[in-house]
Amino acid sequence: MHVDPKREMVQSKGGRIGMALLLIVVFLAIFAPLLTTYEPLEQTVQIFAAPSWEHPLGTNHVGQDIWSQLVYAARTSLLVGLLVAVFSTVLSALIGTSAALIGGVYDHVVMRLVDAFIIIPIIILLILLSVYFNPNLSRGPLLIGIGVLIVIAVICISLYAVRNLGWVGMLIVCPLIALVLLSRDIIQSTGGLIIILALLCWQGGARVVRAQALSLKENAYISAVQGFGASIRYIIRRHIIPELGPLLVADFIFCVRRAVFLQAGLAFIGIGDPNVVSWGSMISDARDWIFLDVWVWWLLPAGIALSVTIVAVTLIGYSLEPALDPRLRGEVSAQN
Amino acid sequence: MFTRQNLIIYLVALLIILTLNFLLPRMMPGNPIIAIYGDVAVVQMSPELEAELTERFSLDQSLGRQFVSYWAALFRGDLGYSYAYNAPVAEVIFGRLPWTLLLAGLALVISTIMGILLGIESGWRRGKRLDGSLLTGMITLSGFPDFLLGILLLLLFAVNLQLLPLFGAESAYSDLGGFQRLADIGKHLLLPLVTLVLARVSGGYLLTRNAFIGELKEPYILLARAKGLKQETIRYRHAGRNSLLPVMTRTGVLLGLMVTGVLFVEIVFSYPGIGLATYEALTYRDYPLLQGLLLVSAICVLTANFIADLFYSKVDPRVSYAR
Amino acid sequence: MLKIENLSVSFEGERVLKGIDLEVQAGECIGVVGESGAGKTTLGLSTMRLLNGNVSGKIYIGDMELMALSEEETRRIRWNRVAMAFQSAENRLNPTQQILDQVAEPMIAHLLSGTAKAKQRAAEVLQEAGLAMAKFHHYPHQLSAGEQQRVLIAMALINDPEVLILDEPISSLDAGSRIEMITFLKQAIEDRAVLVMTHDISTAARLTSKVATLYGGRIVELGPTNSVLSRPRHPYTRALLRSYPNMTTMKDLQGIKGRMDRQATGCAFHPRCTQAITICKKQIPPLVKHDRWLAACHRGGIIPALSVNKLSKYFGQLEAVAEVSLTLEHGETLALVGQSGSGKTTLARMIAGILKPDKGYIQLETGESEWKGKDYHRTVQLVFQNPGEALSHRLTVLESVREPLEIQGIGDKEERDEIAKKVIEEVELPNTDKFLDEYPHHLSGGELQRVNIARALVLDPKVLIADEPTAFLDSSIQAKVLKLLMDLQENRGLSMLFITHDIAVARKISDRIAVMQEGRIVEQGLTSQVITSPSHTHTRKLLNAAAELHAGDEDEAMPITF
Repeated sequence: MHVDPKREMVQSKGGRIGMALLLIVVFLAIFAPLLTTYEPLEQTVQIFAAPSWEHPLGTNHVGQDIWSQLVYAARTSLLVGLLVAVFSTVLSALIGTSAALIGGVYDHVVMRLVDAFIIIPIIILLILLSVYFNPNLSRGPLLIGIGVLIVIAVICISLYAVRNLGWVGMLIVCPLIALVLLSRDIIQSTGGLIIILALLCWQGGARVVRAQALSLKENAYISAVQGFGASIRYIIRRHIIPELGPLLVADFIFCVRRAVFLQAGLAFIGIGDPNVVSWGSMISDARDWIFLDVWVWWLLPAGIALSVTIVAVTLIGYSLEPALDPRLRGEVSAQN
Repeated sequence: MFTRQNLIIYLVALLIILTLNFLLPRMMPGNPIIAIYGDVAVVQMSPELEAELTERFSLDQSLGRQFVSYWAALFRGDLGYSYAYNAPVAEVIFGRLPWTLLLAGLALVISTIMGILLGIESGWRRGKRLDGSLLTGMITLSGFPDFLLGILLLLLFAVNLQLLPLFGAESAYSDLGGFQRLADIGKHLLLPLVTLVLARVSGGYLLTRNAFIGELKEPYILLARAKGLKQETIRYRHAGRNSLLPVMTRTGVLLGLMVTGVLFVEIVFSYPGIGLATYEALTYRDYPLLQGLLLVSAICVLTANFIADLFYSKVDPRVSYAR
Repeated sequence: MLKIENLSVSFEGERVLKGIDLEVQAGECIGVVGESGAGKTTLGLSTMRLLNGNVSGKIYIGDMELMALSEEETRRIRWNRVAMAFQSAENRLNPTQQILDQVAEPMIAHLLSGTAKAKQRAAEVLQEAGLAMAKFHHYPHQLSAGEQQRVLIAMALINDPEVLILDEPISSLDAGSRIEMITFLKQAIEDRAVLVMTHDISTAARLTSKVATLYGGRIVELGPTNSVLSRPRHPYTRALLRSYPNMTTMKDLQGIKGRMDRQATGCAFHPRCTQAITICKKQIPPLVKHDRWLAACHRGGIIPALSVNKLSKYFGQLEAVAEVSLTLEHGETLALVGQSGSGKTTLARMIAGILKPDKGYIQLETGESEWKGKDYHRTVQLVFQNPGEALSHRLTVLESVREPLEIQGIGDKEERDEIAKKVIEEVELPNTDKFLDEYPHHLSGGELQRVNIARALVLDPKVLIADEPTAFLDSSIQAKVLKLLMDLQENRGLSMLFITHDIAVARKISDRIAVMQEGRIVEQGLTSQVITSPSHTHTRKLLNAAAELHAGDEDEAMPITF
């Protein structure tokens, strides 16, 4: 069945709402400096100020402008979410396809690894790793290495998105690139976290990609094309990647969702660079002061912003589901 | 899908965790005691304790010997000594474990059953009002992380309305017995439980609903209608039962994550379980406790997965066939 | 009993069943035969009110009218008074329920008996249906398609319904199992009103007493099984039988020209019918009773294209043709078989309007003909034996083929050329200028015969008489020409009178055979019957002398002749 992810996303009501919401968040993130008057980390003397013209959402326990924190935190979540998804999807695609096509011992070993990783509870692993490793990457060579990886991965995804998803692809890629450029400092601090999260997220996608690639391999159509003398590269480029496309798009979206969730959770328990503003850390800080009324303009907006972002991504992802599972199509109810 | 292969996978996963657990602190530069216990703890430790620990874990000997001693200690049930709690790690952990199991177990059962029932009813009325609103509601709900839900509920019911307690598993220092104690535990359990159920139910709901919608299109449903079976029978015994597999698979995974999945909720409600202990261990840099917790969690995860596997083929005979 | 009155079903604006009337008494078994998409399963499902589309009309199960019942009342009737044995398919049975439980389920659900007894009864029925006991506690995916079919049939019988619908009951079984299943079914359907839906005519032949043909959502023919299958009255039924491989008919398979057109106005079959007239395009023919059978056709079923009444011809004293009466039905091939001197060719020439009969007359379709009138020749054409002689050596291919058009004054020069060229293509000859300019003596026997045929077709006749068309050709060319003739018949809807001395060829090409001896028709009938059980000695003689490829008893068979 020919599936066009772009079409599915645009046509479904949920998909449209999701994209609209996400666009708002992206807008806030990119134009943060223009929308705020104070720096997010700038401490003033006005502690727990109520919302006013000067501080639209008031200030927190150290006098930082909440509105500004809220808006800049969007960058963190989006950046981490998107970059983790970028890496993870690329890894899933590579490992999944190679496992399917190469087969044999390689496939066996890779799949056992995948299974083992899926079972391990991520939080525990992250906590363990965070104790011993500092996610802050101030070290030079590692930073450059990661920077290069980011550039490569982003280029790959951009090419695919623009070529196959048309204007929707542009909609994903442009903000992504803008965000990456604007938030180089965040990357420096969270780069390690991004890599680690990506290393823990690719397994799910790899399994699915491998299954699909395997069934494609057996596809009579592929045999036919081989009968015309097509090379492996041609087959991968012309037939396998387009088939895997929708799967990878769906995987990407759900990975963004997971990453945003995880990053917020980790920030909540205090893992990560304290200088990086994120909704999770805001919620964590606000929690200490829930006895005061301040939670209304401190905790709630951060929570809503986080939820809206996740729901937006979920809606987009969910709009793709009927495309991937034909049994979900049609609007007939069982009751007649 | 109980196979030897799976057993091997579990053992491999366990080994990875244990080995990491062993290696990481010992790979840090400096005195292993500091790496294991953290500098804060060591500073405050008495020299006798320091000497005893060094000996117990062979910390002044070669890596190999340390490894052996590590495993020996494991088998002894000696997980080390918790500095923050001033008690053996094993004691701390096993004192906390039951609370987590209570909360997580109840949450799992309730959210799964609710998810299944709502998913079936929603799928049956696909496209109609109930389905539309449930679906929207569930998707919105799925956007809320469990800690956020917990905080909001806490705010509403405990802080503002003051209906329910703020923290703990039971009222401290109270000498309640029997039914009264049960009620007290229940009151403390309510908010965290509701939080967890709300956070988890959407997953099961969506999976069930999707599977259910797919099943309704299968030929055997027409046959069931032709047989003159009642709608409820078709809905539950036929289509419903056959939609359980995805959600059961997920439940199996959740079962494994049961112990560790309640971390955030325990933190928010200060509920004295394994999760809170982990958080505290992290905050106080109580490394032995942390490592002990990791180990126990890992074992719980693997055991739970194992049990889940045993039940899969009972739920859906297609499973053994598909493999 | 089951009675369906004026049932019409449409899905999303498309009408699948139109005005179906059918009645099945207790103890009766009626087959509904049709190709896929004809609406058989829809018809079956409608008797249980399981359709999602727009349904109008009335359905009676006994004395209860289904459309008037509430959903709950209908539910209670289902499976108890009317049950359907579905066609086996993947996931037709609940994949997670054991076989025995599934079969017992309807009995328990309708409170007909307790669980234990229901399971016992289920076991009994399953055994009768031929399922091995070991499989009772298996799951559907562990059974083969044939075994699943048995389960479905057993399941349908368990509540002892008075009306039973069988949907393709034996299609998924292998040959050996089919016989068993038919025996079982024959017993199982006693005293019930049974409707059998199938595309497989032999199923209908073995199980049913009456059979109906379904085309384009309507019943086009309904009659006793034996007569419908041997002597179909509706062009579609006949075409269906011709395209169905079986051990009875001898004629080579032929398809039906065109495809089913759901948007056809009037009679749904008219675009593919050989005897369609104007009214067929405009009005839907009602199902009309003729004797013991019903047919939906404006022309009252298959009509004769040509009938010969007591035709006689004398050459002096010799009675070349003596009181010959023949009917050539529309769209059929009638083979006239006889030895040389039997009068075949004389008869052929008379029918072709070349030789005037001394006694008797010829009738075209329904009206009497004006013999030798111009119109006659437009309807009946003759292909001669010896193509070399039949074509003028002075005319080129194109000119020969074009000639009849010129004689009849049809169209202008350009149009005649067009038509001629098209027909030349139809007989699989090259359309090149070079070929069209060839003279007969440059052509091979096969090519000549094709030109001959083309010339005969250029006036678009309805009846084609082929007089020993392959007599002068090599055997390899013979086969091709014969095939060509059959294809032409299929594509143009010709009625063909095929004259030959060779009964083996007649067997392969004809629906009916008439055997001629010394100017008289000594035997005529269905090819399958005449060949297998000839009644006249002359026929037997011809059969004995016919070509066989086995080296048999030398004294019984004459030497092989072609």
